[in-house]
Amino acid sequence: MKLTEEDKMSEKTLDAELVAQAKEGKMQSFELLVNRYQQRVANVISKFVKDRHEIQDVAQEVFIKVFRALPNFRGDSSFYTWIYRIAVNTSKNYLVSRSRRIQNSQVEFEEAESFNTNEDHRNLDTPDAVYARGELEQTMSKAIAMLPEDLKAAIILREVDGLSYDEIAEKMECPIGTVRSRIFRARDAIDQALRPLLQDESMRKQNVR
Amino acid sequence: MSDKSNQNISELMDGELSSDCSRFLLKRMQSDDELRGSWNNYHMLRTCLQKEQSAPLLQNLGARVVEQLNRSNADVVVDEKQPKGLIKLFSGMAIAASVALVAVFSFNNMNQFEAPSNNVVFAKTSKQLINPPNATVVRVEQPVGYSRYPSLTPQVQQYIYDSNTNLTIPVYYNTDYVNNVFIQNQLKIKQLPADE
Repeated sequence: MKLTEEDKMSEKTLDAELVAQAKEGKMQSFELLVNRYQQRVANVISKFVKDRHEIQDVAQEVFIKVFRALPNFRGDSSFYTWIYRIAVNTSKNYLVSRSRRIQNSQVEFEEAESFNTNEDHRNLDTPDAVYARGELEQTMSKAIAMLPEDLKAAIILREVDGLSYDEIAEKMECPIGTVRSRIFRARDAIDQALRPLLQDESMRKQNVR
Repeated sequence: MSDKSNQNISELMDGELSSDCSRFLLKRMQSDDELRGSWNNYHMLRTCLQKEQSAPLLQNLGARVVEQLNRSNADVVVDEKQPKGLIKLFSGMAIAASVALVAVFSFNNMNQFEAPSNNVVFAKTSKQLINPPNATVVRVEQPVGYSRYPSLTPQVQQYIYDSNTNLTIPVYYNTDYVNNVFIQNQLKIKQLPADE
Protein backbone atom coordinates (compact mmCIF):
# COMPACT_ATOMS: atom_id res chain seq x y z
CA MET A 1 0.00 0.00 0.00
CA LYS A 2 1.37 3.35 -1.01
CA LEU A 3 1.37 5.96 1.77
CA THR A 4 0.74 9.60 1.03
CA GLU A 5 3.15 12.22 2.38
CA GLU A 6 0.53 13.21 4.97
CA ASP A 7 0.32 9.65 6.26
CA LYS A 8 4.05 9.30 6.74
CA MET A 9 5.95 10.52 9.74
CA SER A 10 8.67 12.63 8.14
CA GLU A 11 12.17 12.67 9.62
CA LYS A 12 11.54 16.16 10.97
CA THR A 13 8.31 15.02 12.59
CA LEU A 14 10.11 12.00 13.97
CA ASP A 15 12.67 14.26 15.61
CA ALA A 16 9.89 16.45 16.99
CA GLU A 17 8.13 13.39 18.36
CA LEU A 18 11.30 12.15 20.06
CA VAL A 19 11.99 15.62 21.46
CA ALA A 20 8.45 15.82 22.83
CA GLN A 21 8.85 12.45 24.51
CA ALA A 22 12.25 13.42 25.90
CA LYS A 23 10.72 16.59 27.32
CA GLU A 24 8.23 14.38 29.12
CA GLY A 25 11.19 12.66 30.74
CA LYS A 26 11.29 9.55 28.56
CA MET A 27 15.02 9.01 28.61
CA GLN A 28 14.95 6.15 26.10
CA SER A 29 13.60 8.56 23.50
CA PHE A 30 16.47 10.92 24.20
CA GLU A 31 18.87 7.98 23.84
CA LEU A 32 17.41 7.35 20.37
CA LEU A 33 17.94 11.01 19.48
CA VAL A 34 21.54 10.94 20.67
CA ASN A 35 22.35 7.81 18.73
CA ARG A 36 20.68 9.28 15.67
CA TYR A 37 22.91 12.38 15.69
CA GLN A 38 26.01 11.30 17.61
CA GLN A 39 28.24 10.93 14.57
CA ARG A 40 27.24 14.19 12.95
CA VAL A 41 27.85 16.02 16.22
CA ALA A 42 31.21 14.27 16.63
CA ASN A 43 32.15 15.40 13.13
CA VAL A 44 31.42 19.01 14.02
CA ILE A 45 33.43 18.76 17.23
CA SER A 46 36.37 17.21 15.39
CA LYS A 47 36.82 20.50 13.49
CA PHE A 48 37.85 22.08 16.79
CA VAL A 49 39.10 19.28 18.98
CA LYS A 50 41.67 16.82 17.70
CA ASP A 51 41.98 14.25 20.40
CA ARG A 52 39.73 11.22 19.96
CA HIS A 53 38.85 10.84 23.62
CA GLU A 54 38.26 14.55 24.02
CA ILE A 55 35.88 14.47 21.05
CA GLN A 56 33.88 11.81 22.82
CA ASP A 57 33.87 13.77 26.07
CA VAL A 58 32.79 16.98 24.36
CA ALA A 59 30.10 15.10 22.41
CA GLN A 60 28.78 13.78 25.71
CA GLU A 61 28.80 17.30 27.15
CA VAL A 62 26.98 18.60 24.06
CA PHE A 63 24.15 16.12 24.44
CA ILE A 64 23.84 16.79 28.16
CA LYS A 65 23.50 20.49 27.35
CA VAL A 66 21.00 19.61 24.65
CA PHE A 67 18.91 17.66 27.13
CA ARG A 68 18.93 20.48 29.66
CA ALA A 69 18.04 23.01 26.97
CA LEU A 70 15.23 20.90 25.49
CA PRO A 71 12.49 23.02 27.11
CA ASN A 72 13.84 25.98 25.11
CA PHE A 73 13.65 24.13 21.79
CA ARG A 74 10.55 25.39 20.03
CA GLY A 75 11.06 23.57 16.75
CA ASP A 76 11.48 26.72 14.63
CA SER A 77 14.63 25.26 13.14
CA SER A 78 15.41 21.61 12.59
CA PHE A 79 16.65 19.67 15.57
CA TYR A 80 20.03 19.11 13.96
CA THR A 81 20.53 22.82 13.21
CA TRP A 82 19.83 23.52 16.85
CA ILE A 83 22.25 20.91 18.23
CA TYR A 84 24.84 21.96 15.65
CA ARG A 85 24.98 25.42 17.26
CA ILE A 86 25.27 23.91 20.71
CA ALA A 87 28.06 21.64 19.47
CA VAL A 88 30.04 24.56 17.99
CA ASN A 89 29.65 26.69 21.13
CA THR A 90 30.54 23.83 23.43
CA SER A 91 33.64 23.01 21.38
CA LYS A 92 34.82 26.62 21.45
CA ASN A 93 34.16 26.90 25.16
CA TYR A 94 36.05 23.68 25.68
CA LEU A 95 39.04 25.06 23.83
CA VAL A 96 38.91 28.31 25.78
CA SER A 97 38.71 26.44 29.04
CA ARG A 98 41.75 24.45 28.06
CA SER A 99 43.51 27.68 27.04
CA ARG A 100 44.04 26.53 23.55
CA ARG A 101 44.15 28.65 20.51
CA ILE A 102 41.19 28.17 18.25
CA GLN A 103 42.69 27.41 14.89
CA ASN A 104 39.45 27.29 13.01
CA SER A 105 37.66 30.19 14.59
CA GLN A 106 35.07 30.29 11.88
CA VAL A 107 33.96 26.95 10.60
CA GLU A 108 31.10 27.22 8.20
CA PHE A 109 28.12 24.96 8.50
CA GLU A 110 28.71 23.33 5.12
CA GLU A 111 32.42 22.97 5.80
CA ALA A 112 31.79 21.23 9.10
CA GLU A 113 29.37 18.92 7.37
CA SER A 114 31.65 18.15 4.47
CA PHE A 115 34.11 15.35 4.94
CA ASN A 116 36.12 15.90 1.78
CA THR A 117 37.07 19.51 2.52
CA ASN A 118 38.77 18.51 5.73
CA GLU A 119 41.31 15.97 4.62
CA ASP A 120 43.75 17.13 7.27
CA HIS A 121 41.35 16.09 10.00
CA ARG A 122 41.21 12.51 8.84
CA ASN A 123 44.41 11.58 10.61
CA LEU A 124 43.31 12.62 14.04
CA ASP A 125 42.61 9.14 15.33
CA THR A 126 44.89 7.03 17.40
CA PRO A 127 46.19 3.88 15.66
CA ASP A 128 43.76 1.57 17.42
CA ALA A 129 40.84 3.80 16.47
CA VAL A 130 42.00 3.90 12.88
CA TYR A 131 42.33 0.16 12.93
CA ALA A 132 38.90 -0.33 14.48
CA ARG A 133 37.32 2.00 12.00
CA GLY A 134 39.24 0.50 9.17
CA GLU A 135 38.09 -2.93 10.24
CA LEU A 136 34.49 -1.77 10.40
CA GLU A 137 34.72 -0.17 6.98
CA GLN A 138 36.39 -3.23 5.51
CA THR A 139 33.77 -5.54 6.98
CA MET A 140 31.02 -3.31 5.73
CA SER A 141 32.56 -3.05 2.26
CA LYS A 142 32.73 -6.85 2.14
CA ALA A 143 29.13 -7.17 3.34
CA ILE A 144 27.94 -4.70 0.70
CA ALA A 145 29.93 -6.47 -2.01
CA MET A 146 28.30 -9.74 -1.06
CA LEU A 147 24.79 -8.28 -1.25
CA PRO A 148 22.59 -9.27 -4.20
CA GLU A 149 22.58 -6.54 -6.87
CA ASP A 150 19.01 -5.39 -6.22
CA LEU A 151 19.63 -4.96 -2.49
CA LYS A 152 22.94 -3.21 -3.08
CA ALA A 153 21.40 -0.80 -5.56
CA ALA A 154 18.49 -0.03 -3.24
CA ILE A 155 20.63 0.72 -0.17
CA ILE A 156 23.14 2.84 -2.12
CA LEU A 157 20.36 4.83 -3.82
CA ARG A 158 18.87 5.47 -0.38
CA GLU A 159 21.93 6.15 1.81
CA VAL A 160 24.46 7.53 -0.65
CA ASP A 161 22.23 9.28 -3.18
CA GLY A 162 19.56 10.17 -0.60
CA LEU A 163 16.59 9.24 -2.80
CA SER A 164 13.12 8.68 -1.35
CA TYR A 165 11.41 5.29 -1.59
CA ASP A 166 9.18 6.61 -4.36
CA GLU A 167 12.16 7.78 -6.39
CA ILE A 168 13.97 4.48 -5.86
CA ALA A 169 10.88 2.54 -6.93
CA GLU A 170 10.69 4.64 -10.04
CA LYS A 171 14.37 4.20 -10.77
CA MET A 172 14.37 0.46 -10.14
CA GLU A 173 11.02 0.00 -11.83
CA CYS A 174 9.51 -1.97 -8.98
CA PRO A 175 6.69 -1.51 -6.44
CA ILE A 176 7.43 0.64 -3.40
CA GLY A 177 6.81 -2.35 -1.14
CA THR A 178 9.69 -4.11 -2.83
CA VAL A 179 11.90 -1.09 -2.20
CA ARG A 180 10.98 -1.16 1.48
CA SER A 181 11.85 -4.81 1.68
CA ARG A 182 15.11 -4.51 -0.26
CA ILE A 183 16.39 -1.63 1.81
CA PHE A 184 15.58 -3.42 5.03
CA ARG A 185 17.16 -6.68 3.90
CA ALA A 186 20.32 -4.88 2.84
CA ARG A 187 20.54 -3.13 6.23
CA ASP A 188 19.86 -6.31 8.07
CA ALA A 189 22.55 -8.24 6.18
CA ILE A 190 25.18 -5.57 6.84
CA ASP A 191 24.05 -5.29 10.46
CA GLN A 192 24.49 -9.03 10.94
CA ALA A 193 28.01 -8.78 9.53
CA LEU A 194 28.90 -5.81 11.75
CA ARG A 195 27.37 -7.01 15.02
CA PRO A 196 30.32 -9.17 16.15
CA LEU A 197 32.72 -6.29 15.51
CA LEU A 198 30.52 -3.77 17.29
CA GLN A 199 30.13 -6.10 20.25
CA ASP A 200 33.92 -6.55 20.43
CA GLU A 201 34.37 -2.79 20.29
CA SER A 202 31.76 -2.32 23.00
CA MET A 203 33.47 -4.90 25.22
CA ARG A 204 36.84 -3.26 24.63
CA LYS A 205 35.49 0.17 25.63
CA GLN A 206 33.94 -1.25 28.78
CA ASN A 207 37.27 -2.84 29.72
CA VAL A 208 39.09 0.45 29.14
CA ARG A 209 36.59 2.28 31.36
CA MET B 1 12.10 -9.42 17.84
CA SER B 2 10.59 -9.95 14.43
CA ASP B 3 11.91 -8.94 11.04
CA LYS B 4 8.74 -6.93 10.64
CA SER B 5 9.70 -4.75 13.61
CA ASN B 6 13.18 -4.23 12.22
CA GLN B 7 11.76 -3.38 8.83
CA ASN B 8 9.52 -0.83 10.55
CA ILE B 9 12.59 0.67 12.20
CA SER B 10 14.29 0.83 8.81
CA GLU B 11 11.28 2.69 7.39
CA LEU B 12 10.92 4.88 10.48
CA MET B 13 14.45 6.27 10.22
CA ASP B 14 13.85 7.02 6.53
CA GLY B 15 10.61 8.85 7.29
CA GLU B 16 8.66 6.27 5.29
CA LEU B 17 6.51 4.75 8.03
CA SER B 18 2.95 5.84 8.71
CA SER B 19 2.43 8.20 11.65
CA ASP B 20 0.34 5.71 13.61
CA CYS B 21 2.83 2.88 13.16
CA SER B 22 5.69 5.24 13.99
CA ARG B 23 4.14 6.27 17.29
CA PHE B 24 3.39 2.69 18.19
CA LEU B 25 6.92 1.63 17.33
CA LEU B 26 8.45 4.47 19.31
CA LYS B 27 6.41 3.38 22.28
CA ARG B 28 7.65 -0.18 21.90
CA MET B 29 11.24 1.00 21.58
CA GLN B 30 10.99 2.60 25.01
CA SER B 31 11.09 -0.81 26.59
CA ASP B 32 12.81 -2.97 23.98
CA ASP B 33 16.62 -2.98 24.02
CA GLU B 34 16.84 -5.11 20.89
CA LEU B 35 14.81 -2.63 18.87
CA ARG B 36 16.93 0.24 20.13
CA GLY B 37 20.03 -1.77 19.20
CA SER B 38 18.77 -2.12 15.64
CA TRP B 39 18.05 1.61 15.53
CA ASN B 40 21.62 2.33 16.65
CA ASN B 41 23.22 -0.07 14.20
CA TYR B 42 21.19 1.14 11.23
CA HIS B 43 22.24 4.69 11.98
CA MET B 44 25.87 3.67 12.28
CA LEU B 45 25.54 1.86 8.99
CA ARG B 46 24.19 5.05 7.46
CA THR B 47 27.17 6.98 8.83
CA CYS B 48 29.63 4.50 7.36
CA LEU B 49 27.89 4.31 3.99
CA GLN B 50 27.75 8.05 3.66
CA LYS B 51 31.44 8.20 4.64
CA GLU B 52 30.60 11.19 6.76
CA GLN B 53 32.69 10.31 9.77
CA SER B 54 35.67 12.62 10.07
CA ALA B 55 35.60 11.94 13.78
CA PRO B 56 36.13 8.55 15.35
CA LEU B 57 33.07 6.34 15.18
CA LEU B 58 30.92 6.77 18.24
CA GLN B 59 28.92 3.83 19.35
CA ASN B 60 25.84 4.07 21.56
CA LEU B 61 26.81 7.42 23.08
CA GLY B 62 23.15 7.78 24.00
CA ALA B 63 23.34 5.13 26.71
CA ARG B 64 26.30 6.89 28.33
CA VAL B 65 24.62 10.30 28.14
CA VAL B 66 21.41 8.97 29.66
CA GLU B 67 23.38 7.21 32.38
CA GLN B 68 25.19 10.42 33.25
CA LEU B 69 21.94 12.42 33.20
CA ASN B 70 20.30 9.92 35.52
CA ARG B 71 23.30 10.07 37.82
CA SER B 72 23.31 13.89 37.88
CA ASN B 73 19.54 13.92 38.45
CA ALA B 74 20.04 11.64 41.40
CA ASP B 75 22.72 14.01 42.71
CA VAL B 76 20.39 16.94 42.24
CA VAL B 77 17.68 15.13 44.19
CA VAL B 78 20.14 14.46 47.01
CA ASP B 79 21.35 18.07 46.92
CA GLU B 80 17.79 19.31 47.00
CA LYS B 81 17.05 17.20 50.05
CA GLN B 82 19.98 18.53 52.05
CA PRO B 83 19.11 22.21 51.75
CA LYS B 84 15.51 21.43 52.67
CA GLY B 85 16.71 19.95 55.97
CA LEU B 86 19.00 22.88 56.58
CA ILE B 87 16.32 25.39 55.68
CA LYS B 88 13.93 23.66 58.06
CA LEU B 89 16.51 23.77 60.85
CA PHE B 90 17.43 27.42 60.25
CA SER B 91 13.81 28.51 59.91
CA GLY B 92 13.02 26.81 63.22
CA MET B 93 15.92 28.61 64.84
CA ALA B 94 14.86 31.92 63.32
CA ILE B 95 11.29 31.51 64.59
CA ALA B 96 12.57 30.62 68.06
CA ALA B 97 14.89 33.65 68.06
CA SER B 98 12.15 36.03 66.94
CA VAL B 99 9.75 34.69 69.57
CA ALA B 100 12.45 35.19 72.21
CA LEU B 101 13.08 38.73 70.97
CA VAL B 102 9.40 39.63 71.11
CA ALA B 103 9.16 38.13 74.58
CA VAL B 104 12.15 40.12 75.85
CA PHE B 105 10.83 43.39 74.45
CA SER B 106 7.30 42.90 75.70
CA PHE B 107 8.62 41.94 79.16
CA ASN B 108 10.69 45.12 79.29
CA ASN B 109 7.74 47.25 78.27
CA MET B 110 5.52 45.64 80.89
CA ASN B 111 8.12 46.37 83.54
CA GLN B 112 8.32 49.95 82.41
CA PHE B 113 4.59 50.62 82.66
CA GLU B 114 3.65 48.35 85.49
CA ALA B 115 6.15 49.62 88.01
CA PRO B 116 5.18 53.22 88.67
CA SER B 117 7.28 53.55 91.77
CA ASN B 118 10.46 53.06 89.78
CA ASN B 119 9.67 54.60 86.46
CA VAL B 120 7.25 57.47 86.66
CA VAL B 121 5.99 58.65 83.34
CA PHE B 122 5.72 62.38 83.02
CA ALA B 123 3.07 63.95 80.91
CA LYS B 124 4.78 66.81 79.20
CA THR B 125 1.81 68.16 77.28
CA SER B 126 -1.82 68.74 78.06
CA LYS B 127 -2.76 66.11 75.52
CA GLN B 128 -0.65 63.56 77.31
CA LEU B 129 -2.25 64.56 80.53
CA ILE B 130 -5.72 63.86 79.16
CA ASN B 131 -4.59 60.64 77.44
CA PRO B 132 -1.68 59.40 79.47
CA PRO B 133 0.73 57.10 77.56
CA ASN B 134 0.05 53.69 79.06
CA ALA B 135 0.78 54.86 82.49
CA THR B 136 -0.99 53.95 85.67
CA VAL B 137 0.34 56.99 87.47
CA VAL B 138 0.64 60.36 85.88
CA ARG B 139 2.33 63.33 87.41
CA VAL B 140 2.33 66.68 85.83
CA GLU B 141 5.80 67.98 85.46
CA GLN B 142 6.17 71.04 87.59
CA PRO B 143 8.15 74.17 86.87
CA VAL B 144 11.69 73.67 87.96
CA GLY B 145 12.50 77.29 88.82
CA TYR B 146 11.17 77.45 92.36
CA SER B 147 14.07 75.65 93.91
CA ARG B 148 17.55 74.80 92.73
CA TYR B 149 18.19 72.91 95.92
CA PRO B 150 15.85 69.93 96.26
CA SER B 151 17.73 68.78 99.34
CA LEU B 152 16.49 71.78 101.37
CA THR B 153 13.89 71.12 104.02
CA PRO B 154 10.24 71.42 103.04
CA GLN B 155 9.85 74.56 105.10
CA VAL B 156 12.66 76.33 103.32
CA GLN B 157 11.35 75.14 99.99
CA GLN B 158 7.91 76.44 100.88
CA TYR B 159 9.43 79.80 101.83
CA ILE B 160 11.30 80.04 98.54
CA TYR B 161 8.21 78.97 96.66
CA ASP B 162 6.10 81.57 98.36
CA SER B 163 8.60 84.31 97.83
CA ASN B 164 8.87 83.35 94.19
CA THR B 165 5.17 83.20 93.59
CA ASN B 166 3.92 86.08 95.87
CA LEU B 167 3.10 89.18 94.06
CA THR B 168 5.39 92.07 94.96
CA ILE B 169 4.69 95.66 94.26
CA PRO B 170 7.62 97.28 92.55
CA VAL B 171 9.09 100.30 94.42
CA TYR B 172 10.18 103.23 92.39
CA TYR B 173 12.57 105.79 93.92
CA ASN B 174 12.94 109.49 93.06
CA THR B 175 16.65 109.65 92.66
CA ASP B 176 16.80 113.46 92.82
CA TYR B 177 14.91 113.41 96.09
CA VAL B 178 17.10 110.65 97.50
CA ASN B 179 20.24 112.42 96.42
CA ASN B 180 19.08 115.71 97.96
CA VAL B 181 18.24 114.00 101.23
CA PHE B 182 21.52 112.17 101.22
CA ILE B 183 23.52 115.39 100.51
CA GLN B 184 21.63 117.36 103.15
CA ASN B 185 22.30 114.64 105.69
CA GLN B 186 25.98 114.73 104.87
CA LEU B 187 26.09 118.52 105.21
CA LYS B 188 24.32 118.32 108.54
CA ILE B 189 26.88 115.86 109.81
CA LYS B 190 29.74 118.14 108.74
CA GLN B 191 28.15 121.25 110.27
CA LEU B 192 27.41 119.69 113.64
CA PRO B 193 31.02 119.67 114.95
CA ALA B 194 31.47 123.29 113.92
CA ASP B 195 28.35 124.28 115.86
CA GLU B 196 29.66 122.49 118.91
